[in-house]
Amino acid sequence: MKELYSNSLQKKVIQIALRTQKNFFYRVIQRTVLTIFPFVLIGSFAKTIQLIFLSKNGLFSNLLDFIPDSIYFQIEGVVTAISNLTIGWISVIAAYLAAKYSAKYFKRDDQLAGLTASISLLIIAYTYSKKTSFAFHQSILGIRGLLFAILMGIFVGYLFKMTSKKASPINFSSMSSSALNRAFTSMTAIFLMIVIAAIFSAAVNVTFYSNLPETVISQISSTNPSTIPWLRLLRTLGLGTYTVIMSFLGWSGPYSSIGTSYSDTTSIANLNYALNHHTTWGAPDIFNSNALYHTFAAYGGTGATLALIIAVFWISKDRDFLTVSRWSLIPSIFNINSPLLSGIPVFFNVIFFIPFIAAPLVNMLLAALVLQLHLMPPAVYSVPVGTPGPLIAFLGTNGSWQALLFTLFSLFISVLIYIPFVRIAEKVKTIDNLAADERGEDHEI
Amino acid sequence: MKFNFHRPVTKKGRHALLFLLLVLVIIGIPSYLWSKSNITTIAGRYNSPLSPIIMIPGSSASADRFEGLVSTINKKYDEHHSLLELTVHTNDSITYKGSIKGNDPRPFIVVGFENNQDGYANIKKQAKWMSVAFDALKSRYKFNNFDAFGHSNGGLIWTYYLEHYFDDDTINVHRMMTVGSPYNFEEKDQNKRTQMLDDFIKHKDKLPQDLTYYSIAGTKVYTDDGIVPIGSVEAGKYIFESNIKHYTLITLTGNNAEHSDMLTNQQFISLFHQYIIEDRSTMPTNSKTRKSDSAQINK
Repeated sequence: MKELYSNSLQKKVIQIALRTQKNFFYRVIQRTVLTIFPFVLIGSFAKTIQLIFLSKNGLFSNLLDFIPDSIYFQIEGVVTAISNLTIGWISVIAAYLAAKYSAKYFKRDDQLAGLTASISLLIIAYTYSKKTSFAFHQSILGIRGLLFAILMGIFVGYLFKMTSKKASPINFSSMSSSALNRAFTSMTAIFLMIVIAAIFSAAVNVTFYSNLPETVISQISSTNPSTIPWLRLLRTLGLGTYTVIMSFLGWSGPYSSIGTSYSDTTSIANLNYALNHHTTWGAPDIFNSNALYHTFAAYGGTGATLALIIAVFWISKDRDFLTVSRWSLIPSIFNINSPLLSGIPVFFNVIFFIPFIAAPLVNMLLAALVLQLHLMPPAVYSVPVGTPGPLIAFLGTNGSWQALLFTLFSLFISVLIYIPFVRIAEKVKTIDNLAADERGEDHEI
Repeated sequence: MKFNFHRPVTKKGRHALLFLLLVLVIIGIPSYLWSKSNITTIAGRYNSPLSPIIMIPGSSASADRFEGLVSTINKKYDEHHSLLELTVHTNDSITYKGSIKGNDPRPFIVVGFENNQDGYANIKKQAKWMSVAFDALKSRYKFNNFDAFGHSNGGLIWTYYLEHYFDDDTINVHRMMTVGSPYNFEEKDQNKRTQMLDDFIKHKDKLPQDLTYYSIAGTKVYTDDGIVPIGSVEAGKYIFESNIKHYTLITLTGNNAEHSDMLTNQQFISLFHQYIIEDRSTMPTNSKTRKSDSAQINK
């Protein structure tokens, strides 16, 4: 009976996935996310080095102590450059690709469309600062700006479709005149887009200082929470889920998987308790974000994606999935999952939407239950940045075996949650490839 | 759907899983041993990242006195300090306005008083109210270090508070900055000491020894900033000099150097940012200075 049910669920998800994949928007988004994978991957490696070796409180930050300062700063400079100019401005690349793919789909000048989109995004992100003359709002250019960048790219594609004629194929023999012709064909679209971007840019710079959405969210996530335990539980669950959904869309919520903030009051109260009593058993707030979300819901980064990697290794025969997972393994161990999110892809992927949210949520609920029953102590001590997800509970409780056992158990549950969806994703991929082959299409969009 | 848990289906997958397991063990064992042997380091790393800047406005100003200053600083330096304003009423009750954002290590906290009158008797009372507010803040936000700022009489309240109420070894005040604080009230002649200055000098041993103090005096016409005589600000040296870690007196002249305009003076804002906000060396980290936190900022 159960088998039948889960099979029909599987069928349903496959159908939904296949239907959405026909959607033009969806294809552009998925295609773009896949194409940026190499840059995300390289950037993530740089970021991993930055976080665990170079940042203060990094996992291995003490290993570099013997290096003289001058060499240290050189290394830091190089690594920061790589990371900032790959994932640091990944949205600019994504905007280019999204515009290029949609313009190509509409048979317009795809290269100019791509460039227009990139420049527009940069204009929007430009900081009107007197302090630095050539600066951008980083949050718009990085992974967080991905969805916006892709949607803008598609919009540029539409704009080209509406305001310009079909692009003639490039003719290299009459290079100059043909290139100029193409430029003027697209002039209206380019001009319009830059004007729109400038308006957006002004709006961004006005709202940046008022800082509205961030204020509202951090208001809820920071100031004094209620003293009723189940309300606090609900609050952590809610903010955790919000973070996961936002991260699915490429944004970020109040809980970051790297650079965890331990400054909220309940964490410090917990720590004081632990230092006075020499144990974390009985710490006052067992349902705060450290005890639940950071410790049990973010193995391998937001969405408990380490479980996805394990699931792929365990059951997948798909070569793409395996390759991506293998390359993403090392950053994922240190809780950086952007390469996995972009390579599988998980971003905006209807198939993985359910486990991406379910796995962290189930983990938090299970952890809350086990903590409430006093079967394990809460994680209270801060762990170094980049501590592998499955070790956070163990180290954060200063070596509680119960916490380690529970970690393994909940990681196992997360893998179980991901496994059916990996199967579905494989099937969808096979069906999609077959269908495309039958129609004899190239997989352009 | 049935799961078969025999073994990973591909060789690649099997190897990768083994690799993952190996890495976790290799990282896990030493970090476990290290943290077990060194629990205080764990606590030290934790050492309250929250280091507020607590400000007291001058007489007849209320807790909203620094709103303009904070928003100017946020704009000018692209920073996002939050602002919490407390007003202590004459019956020791406190009203709060604003909040501290969860991820803000350097928030501004302003403590204003319902009775904000001038005069030594009032300053004593206000210092007592300050201690009420401080205890509330301490138990509410659990910080273990802070910086102090006082405008005009705010500096006097700070000094009285530090001498008479601040005796908590678990909390450190790193830096203090005051603007136009008249340690000798309106008296220009430093030989004519007021009762207050005498008291301050008498109790100067109780000031925190590791405090670094910047006193800013504004002048318009060589002698005063329109309200406070420079001699009165200078008289602070009898209290602080060679008694605390560093005592620095800065004289500001030019536009906007009048007593009440000082908070909008660009020179002052630069000094304030440089000495109070930006000075990371006072932050309680166990790391060396070269470890930047850039990686954490662009998460």
